[in-house]
Amino acid sequence: MTPEALPGEDQPVLVFHDVVKVYPLKAGDVTALNHISFAVNRGEFISIMGPSGSGKSTLLNLMGCLDTPTSGDIFIGGIRIGDMSDVELTNLRRDHIGFIFQYFNLFPLLNVIENVNFPQMLKSRAKVDEKKAVAVLRAVKLDEHLYVHTPLELSGGQQQRVAVARALINDPDILLCDEPTGNLDSKTGASIMELMAELNRNGTTIIVVTHDPRVASYTNRTIQIVDGRIES
Amino acid sequence: MLRSSLAMLGIIIGVVAIASMGILGNSIVQAVSSSLSSVGDSVIVMPYAGGSGFGGGASSANLMLTEQEYQQIKRAVAPNIAIPVHSTSEYMTMGVGSDNIVATIYGLPPDQTKDLLPDLTAGDYSNGNSGCLVGATFATDHNVKVGSRISVGNDGQYGTLRVTGIIKERGMSFDISTDNAIVVTQDWFESTYNDQYQYNEVVVKVANGDTADVKTTIENQLNRNTREKSVTVIDSKATLATIMDTFGMVTTFVTAIGGISMLVAGVSIFNIMMMSVNERIKEIGIMRSIGTQKREVMSMFIYEAAIIGVTGSLIGGALSLLGGYAISALMLKTTQYLFTLPTVFSVVEGVGFGIIICILCGLYPAWQAANLNPIDALRHE
Repeated sequence: MTPEALPGEDQPVLVFHDVVKVYPLKAGDVTALNHISFAVNRGEFISIMGPSGSGKSTLLNLMGCLDTPTSGDIFIGGIRIGDMSDVELTNLRRDHIGFIFQYFNLFPLLNVIENVNFPQMLKSRAKVDEKKAVAVLRAVKLDEHLYVHTPLELSGGQQQRVAVARALINDPDILLCDEPTGNLDSKTGASIMELMAELNRNGTTIIVVTHDPRVASYTNRTIQIVDGRIES
Repeated sequence: MLRSSLAMLGIIIGVVAIASMGILGNSIVQAVSSSLSSVGDSVIVMPYAGGSGFGGGASSANLMLTEQEYQQIKRAVAPNIAIPVHSTSEYMTMGVGSDNIVATIYGLPPDQTKDLLPDLTAGDYSNGNSGCLVGATFATDHNVKVGSRISVGNDGQYGTLRVTGIIKERGMSFDISTDNAIVVTQDWFESTYNDQYQYNEVVVKVANGDTADVKTTIENQLNRNTREKSVTVIDSKATLATIMDTFGMVTTFVTAIGGISMLVAGVSIFNIMMMSVNERIKEIGIMRSIGTQKREVMSMFIYEAAIIGVTGSLIGGALSLLGGYAISALMLKTTQYLFTLPTVFSVVEGVGFGIIICILCGLYPAWQAANLNPIDALRHE
């Protein structure tokens, strides 16, 4: 069961408590995260930085409920996700978490509106609200004449704006971004980060995984992770 | 698109193969069933000739049923009717200057002719010895009508008979085959051929009881001597059932051959679905990451297989009707059996099998797609 809305502004929206993640491999077990503990409050704009292989992606997968910890507890809005079934975790992702990927990951055969509406359709085909899709696309400042185009007909920056809109359509409590500007030029990347900063000012909790200090400069807290441990 | 179309083509061919074989087989069964005379109620007794046989009164020239045997049969099968039958082949001419033809002549008791031949298309049964009935095909082939005269024997040596009636077409039958024959009275036959007190066969019309029981009764009565039989007894109902069963088995066999092509099409569907899953691994990862359930991913791929199956099967069903029409017209010279229940069921069977095969062959790829690890899928290039 997932709650309709995650509770309270006085409660952290995300808590990691002594989390360990080990990948069993033939060549030997790999500890990707080693007793990680931290909390994210509602409305924060956080960056997670670290060198390649430090455990950033593993951390992102756990935060996004795409994976479960080997030990320790993860709470999203006070709910311990370790006990959840795959169906419950999937519902949680659908209703409370928005994903933004480095390579946009839009559906190539769907146009902009259809891509943005997709998460709504997962909730309920009957409740797809095209006006909301338009409103969200306006919020990410995508030109209206592009709404009927497919992703292949858009620039990188435009595609990422569509991806942000898709991530926002179900009013998620947390926006998880994996190197959101990694595939963009610096100017376009800056515009995307400014967009995210505006969304954060409007109340969206955003966690960005990046190795780019310029991206991290937009956030108001940085968590440094090295060799699976939080340094600061 | 091309790949799916080719896979659908396989389904179309499979459905056409199954349905067409079924249509052909069922049409043949129905054609044979209707062409065999309604003799499911007859038991035919013939002199034993060293092996079973049936047909229009054929027997060894020296083997006949005696009057005594006929009377035994008559008593044994009472109250059922036992009809003694004379038969021979004879030259005939239809008029002055016409060519000699050879046809079968049957001699029947006038009071029992109607029991054996209840349907006439024209005229009436002969009252006297100078009249005869002719078979439907005989009448058509030789332009014979009621009132026509037939000279019997070489140069009409046996006299002239007047056609009093035309027998309705009976097709192939177990008792007597009248379509290409003439039927005269028993008296005329016996006086002409000096053939009293012996018969080529006896036909028992079973109105009371079962044909199998009547057959047993006759055999018990006449074939008491286990070392040498006197008569051969044919239960037409049982023989007809055996023929129908055989045709049914052949139909099933050829339909199964058609089913092999459907299985090949199913393997093709499995292959393209696996390719489709492989090509869309990343897409599946994105879907799963933004909240698509496993069952929704699985449904997506099953629907894809079902669409190919339904579309291909329906097209195949329509084509098989066209093909069945052509085959029936060419081989059976009739299409009256095309829209009967058994043949329509063949089409439904083919279409249903096609849809089921497609869905079944799509199940594993769909399951595999649904159970992909989203993290690995997102990383897939």
